[in-house]
Amino acid sequence: MRRPSALPAAAVTALAALALAACAPQAPEEADAPATGGSTAAAAGSDTLTIATTTDVVNYNPLIGNSRSDYWITNLMYPHLLSIADDGSKEPMLATDWGYVDDTTGYYEIRDDFMWSDGEPLTADDVAYTLNAVKRDAPAGTFYGQMGTFEAESAVAVSDTRVEFTLTEPDTSLVEEIGFWGNVVPQHVFEPAGSVAEFANDGSDGGWVSAGPYLLTDVQAGQSYTMERVEPYPLVEGGVPGPETVVYRVLPDVNTEILALQSGEVDAIANALPPAQVEQLRSTEGIEVVEVVGLGYAHMVYNMDNPDLAKTEVRQALAHAADYESIRQVVLQGQAVSTGSSALMPVLADYYDESLTEYEFDPELSRSLMEQAGYTAGPDGMFPVSFRLIYSLQDSVGSQWAQLVQASAAEAGITIELQGTERNTYLAMTNEGDYDIYAGNFAIMDDPVTNFRLSYLPGGAINYTHVDDPELNELIAQAGVTTDEDEKIELMRQAAAIVHEQVYDNIMYTQNLYVAHSSDWTGFISKPSELLSIVNPVSVASARKTDG
Amino acid sequence: MSIALFVLRRLGRGVLTVWFAVTVTFLLLRLLPGDPALAVASTNMTEEARAALLTQYGLDKPLPTQYVLYLGQLLQGNLGTSFTQSVPVLDVLAQRIPWTLLLTATALVLTVVVGIPLGVAAAAHQGRFVDRAVQVIGVTGQSLFVPSVGILLLYLFGLQLGWLPIGGAYSQNVFGFEWYGSVLSHLVLPAVSLTLIQLGSYALTMRATVVEALRDDYVVLARANGIPYRRILWKHALRNALLPATTLIGLQLGFLVGGAVLTETVFAYPGVGRGIYEAVTQLDFPVLQGAFLLLAVTVVAANTLTDIAYGFLDPRVKAS
Repeated sequence: MRRPSALPAAAVTALAALALAACAPQAPEEADAPATGGSTAAAAGSDTLTIATTTDVVNYNPLIGNSRSDYWITNLMYPHLLSIADDGSKEPMLATDWGYVDDTTGYYEIRDDFMWSDGEPLTADDVAYTLNAVKRDAPAGTFYGQMGTFEAESAVAVSDTRVEFTLTEPDTSLVEEIGFWGNVVPQHVFEPAGSVAEFANDGSDGGWVSAGPYLLTDVQAGQSYTMERVEPYPLVEGGVPGPETVVYRVLPDVNTEILALQSGEVDAIANALPPAQVEQLRSTEGIEVVEVVGLGYAHMVYNMDNPDLAKTEVRQALAHAADYESIRQVVLQGQAVSTGSSALMPVLADYYDESLTEYEFDPELSRSLMEQAGYTAGPDGMFPVSFRLIYSLQDSVGSQWAQLVQASAAEAGITIELQGTERNTYLAMTNEGDYDIYAGNFAIMDDPVTNFRLSYLPGGAINYTHVDDPELNELIAQAGVTTDEDEKIELMRQAAAIVHEQVYDNIMYTQNLYVAHSSDWTGFISKPSELLSIVNPVSVASARKTDG
Repeated sequence: MSIALFVLRRLGRGVLTVWFAVTVTFLLLRLLPGDPALAVASTNMTEEARAALLTQYGLDKPLPTQYVLYLGQLLQGNLGTSFTQSVPVLDVLAQRIPWTLLLTATALVLTVVVGIPLGVAAAAHQGRFVDRAVQVIGVTGQSLFVPSVGILLLYLFGLQLGWLPIGGAYSQNVFGFEWYGSVLSHLVLPAVSLTLIQLGSYALTMRATVVEALRDDYVVLARANGIPYRRILWKHALRNALLPATTLIGLQLGFLVGGAVLTETVFAYPGVGRGIYEAVTQLDFPVLQGAFLLLAVTVVAANTLTDIAYGFLDPRVKAS
């Protein structure tokens, strides 16, 4: 028998090896590499702050912000007009003053000492351009979503430091909301690129420019984002940010992030810690755990398109059939506070209404309410209704409490079928109203009027209850045009009382958030919400190495 | 059949398979219940804004039109533009391909290099301790969950012993040979994890085929002729057992790429697997289509090469 020749096999192997070699990772040239930065803090140098994040940057255009990493990194380059305090009130950032010239004219007065890193001054022209471009091009994202009553092409720079714009109707929330949610972008970079909805701003045309404390200088997709200090940054004392370099390292698994923090490979974790990890890290030497005020809430919403759920008594019965305290203690390990079942959370100190109290867990009361609604329990004690509750499987906390809600509802004789789905399916089902009960959460509900408009007015983008209550509509509409702060608060409290009584929404808790950093670093300035926390621009720029 | 015809037939079958994979991927993505516009902008958007996004993505056109346009693009070597990143898909993938190739090729080589001796040793000592140990290792390996193994390895070798880095593909700020050393040190744990989950099935397959080969008449004859057992085992039985093992290598490539998704996530390895995971969460159809096309081409190419190699190794295959 003739033995098979080894030549063809060797040729195939050689070809495969050549193909592999051609595709092999290439070592970076020293000249092309960033001045500092790296996968270990020690290797990167002592003036490098290395922050872990779970996701890559999806989009470098801050007007299309999508992932948290987009927000964190672009925030270090493109300033917001306003920031936020722990009680949800707005604070100066790029803007020093803001408000209304009259019912339908808003304005911002901005600082005169901000510069873009390419030497161009940041002026009111940049602000006016940004506002008009976002309204015109409608980039996907929260910024555009806040511009409902902003009149197209109305923003005008009336001086180098003042912008005025027109509203299509009186709206006392607009100025603060777009000031808080929107980044200002450089007109001289974005305008030549065309539509801001399609501009990638990926640095391929000569890099980025920044008016924040840092400038993105190197991107290793899937690995790290290196940013160099920009001076001056007027929002820190002395105008010089602390860390010379900030490196965002991508560690998709939160357990890997924690190991990297413990080993010293990263100095901070940007995303909030899972509740179960908080206590363990608190007792870990060399790690500081910082509490961040939560500005959002978790809730259940009952779809009133379902004839059973259209009955107030049934919604009330469901509201009294959940053990909220157990959920907060067991699932969230005590890291959450009750909001009194109101969307006006305690954190919104001016608006919070102590007279609204949490729905008490009382299965007997639930049963009584179901009977009032006309239902009779069968021999097994169960009422002849069944509700489908949807939740996202990516939300580990929500997935856990959904089980508890199902179990406690059964005690009240109400059947709940759980339908956990992958996030995109969940979003699609939510959008189509394909649920009886929606379980979810919102990260930031900073402005009560905006929140109520979106949540409870007919056609509101997050009106998952599908409620249309004329009395509630009127109160929200009045609050939206009332400039007197006390009167606005009173109107919102009345609106919240209706939502509470009618169970148009069932707010379960505000989660306290915790982030961690190495005790080798200090000086962070925490801001509310996971989006800002200790990685907001002023905080990062204020961070310093601890002595010794 | 001539060698040229044999190779041509295999290549033709490969092209058809890739076309089939491309078509199925295209259709499956559009059957998903999610909405790419919602994935980008969440639910807090107006209907007009959503419609504008769908138009921008080209998803407002009828499905057949989308398909024809997509195939037309593909034939011109254009994989499209990422929905979420607004950059060419080729650029997105080009940054990630080398790392996945490095990881999976290393794991594949490790699997073969360790799996063959394990399988042969088990077959040679059938029923004894070595055999049982290999079977236990094999079955355990098949039931390992990558993230658990990964975290365990990271905890042990990264945090406690401090021998290896935690996550990433290389350290920055290092150049030249030092950079290659850093790549190697970052590669160890993910490659070992990926190898561990593949090794079991490979070793067990090797064991089964060698055991079968050892029962063949030519082995009995060789033993009767007084040829040393070790020589029969390694020179004759193993050579014959390598044929099905070669096929398994091609098949395992697909599993390796699947395992790479989880491995790359736990070890923060910047490969295509992780890119796929991120694109799935964002319903970024063009990136997913590009990535699956790439995977299909890789797996089909590997299997085609295996087929061709098989043809050379075993003339009966070529003849059939």
